[in-house]
Amino acid sequence: MSESVSSSRRTLFKRMAEIIGGLVVWGQVRPAPAQQTVSPETGPQTVRVMRPYDAETPVREFTSYVTPNHRFFVRSHFGPPAPELIAEANWRLRVGGLIEHPLEFTLKDLKEFERVTITAVVQCSGNGRAFHRPKVPGVQWERGAVGNAQWTGVRLRDVLAKAGIRPSAKHVQLQGADRPVVASVPLFTRSIPLEKALHPDTILAYEMNGRPLPLLHGAPLRVITPGWMADSCTKWLTEITVQVDEAKGYYMQTAYRVPVTAIQPNSGLPGTSMVPVEAMVVKSLIASPVNGDQVGRGPVTVQGVAWSGEAAVAIVELSFDDGKTWEQARLVGEDEPYAWRQWQFLWKPKAAGAVTILCRATDAAGQVQPQESPWNPSGFLWNGWDRVAITVAS
Amino acid sequence: MMTRSLPLIGLFVLGLAGLAAMTAAQEDDPASVSAALAPRAEGLIVARCSVCHSPDLVAQQRLPKDRWLATVDKMKHWGAEIADDEAELLVRYLSARYHPAAPDHLPPFDHELRKAEPLTQEPADTGPLVGVATRGAGIFEHNCQACHGTGATGGMGPKLAKNPILKHDDLFWETVLHGRGPMPAWGSVLSQQDIADIHTWLLTK
Repeated sequence: MSESVSSSRRTLFKRMAEIIGGLVVWGQVRPAPAQQTVSPETGPQTVRVMRPYDAETPVREFTSYVTPNHRFFVRSHFGPPAPELIAEANWRLRVGGLIEHPLEFTLKDLKEFERVTITAVVQCSGNGRAFHRPKVPGVQWERGAVGNAQWTGVRLRDVLAKAGIRPSAKHVQLQGADRPVVASVPLFTRSIPLEKALHPDTILAYEMNGRPLPLLHGAPLRVITPGWMADSCTKWLTEITVQVDEAKGYYMQTAYRVPVTAIQPNSGLPGTSMVPVEAMVVKSLIASPVNGDQVGRGPVTVQGVAWSGEAAVAIVELSFDDGKTWEQARLVGEDEPYAWRQWQFLWKPKAAGAVTILCRATDAAGQVQPQESPWNPSGFLWNGWDRVAITVAS
Repeated sequence: MMTRSLPLIGLFVLGLAGLAAMTAAQEDDPASVSAALAPRAEGLIVARCSVCHSPDLVAQQRLPKDRWLATVDKMKHWGAEIADDEAELLVRYLSARYHPAAPDHLPPFDHELRKAEPLTQEPADTGPLVGVATRGAGIFEHNCQACHGTGATGGMGPKLAKNPILKHDDLFWETVLHGRGPMPAWGSVLSQQDIADIHTWLLTK
């Protein structure tokens, strides 16, 4: 048999071409992750996990205000659902629980509601996990599990109003069509407090940057909770359940929680004092120059982005001397409530050699980006000073 | 006569020395421990973990032994089919290779070591392989069904019942042994007899 196997390699490509028609079904069942990226270093995304596909955006892309769909970071627990579950002919959004009238919507039905567009940062709760010390388990995201996009859809509160919310309602549970490979793995079931669900800026999005929502970003419908981390932004949404309690299950009751007060690294889970990850914390990134760049002695434009959860960005500062002194950058470009703010700084390097550029932001509520974020067991909400190491040519 | 058997004796002595070194190493040096356990452990990662996620998720972690133990436990609890002795070996291997002080980019094992050891040993004399459909059904259920669906009718992976690939022995074997796209390589997990059994069973579907 081993002989026949090795001889098979010689004719493999020929045979593949011959029967490729028979295998086309593969492409219909799953998007081929290999097509998403050319290589981890040079492609549009840096792949962290091939399956289910998790990939971040190279930070140099953040010189652009809007992050293009094909470069926008991708994260899910189980990958996209089977195509027949989300095909427009079959897909439905069901609204149930503590409501007056259980409802079922097609995508066309949903488009009857008022159409709203919001530009908002969407960021994985684990963005920057790789920088926590001691290291914590999970996808080792560095800086690019975040993006800024224009989301178009309908207000969740308009949909809920049509269903009629009962007075006892406190939470809104969100369930997507994605399923684990092994049925004993818990579903990614999440909930948000009713107050956030009824916020006029919380939407169910069917478009991303003016295009139909791409498969990897939750087609045909995903939740957008502006200002909050992406664990609330359920993709491939199919079920909304209004209820008294928070969602049950691992992904709400155990995962995506942080300690209320700082805890000692590796001191174990502090039990009852864990709360769900919700609002984003103030954060900034240096998009240009990038790590390893060599710049000349002439003025260098340092640029990047900064954002915060529920307040505007007030100040962005840079340091070229390990944080001893800070200089203020200029906020530029669009200024929208949930989007990130672009900034620029014209830097005149004083001497040749290696330099680390540090960056920190402060928001209008007075939150300041810390040198390092408080350690937490799952490595959420990293917002330590951003740093880029470059060389000034002599 | 003497000269001809010398290399063999030499190999035997080397092997013994290697075994002794390995045993000693298991008590201290993580690098030797991970190298010694790698062939079997890497096979286990493909067989037991990559049903749900690609092995790159494992390799990017840097965790102390207690966290690895908790992680393997969590996965078992969630349905990973890991026997107790396999779990113990995995925790020893993972905490020796992917510990907090290990560099971000670990050097790969040299080629021979990276070749994962088959979990099922082949008998010395295989002879012509004849698949047994009834065996194949069970092996499929245990290893392939999660992705290819009950009765091979498809799921996250393609439908295999009546799939044209079944008529192309060489491509079928190449895909199973070495993987393709999102499908992991099964060469270190399934024996050739297992694969022949699965193939025979699939032809009946």
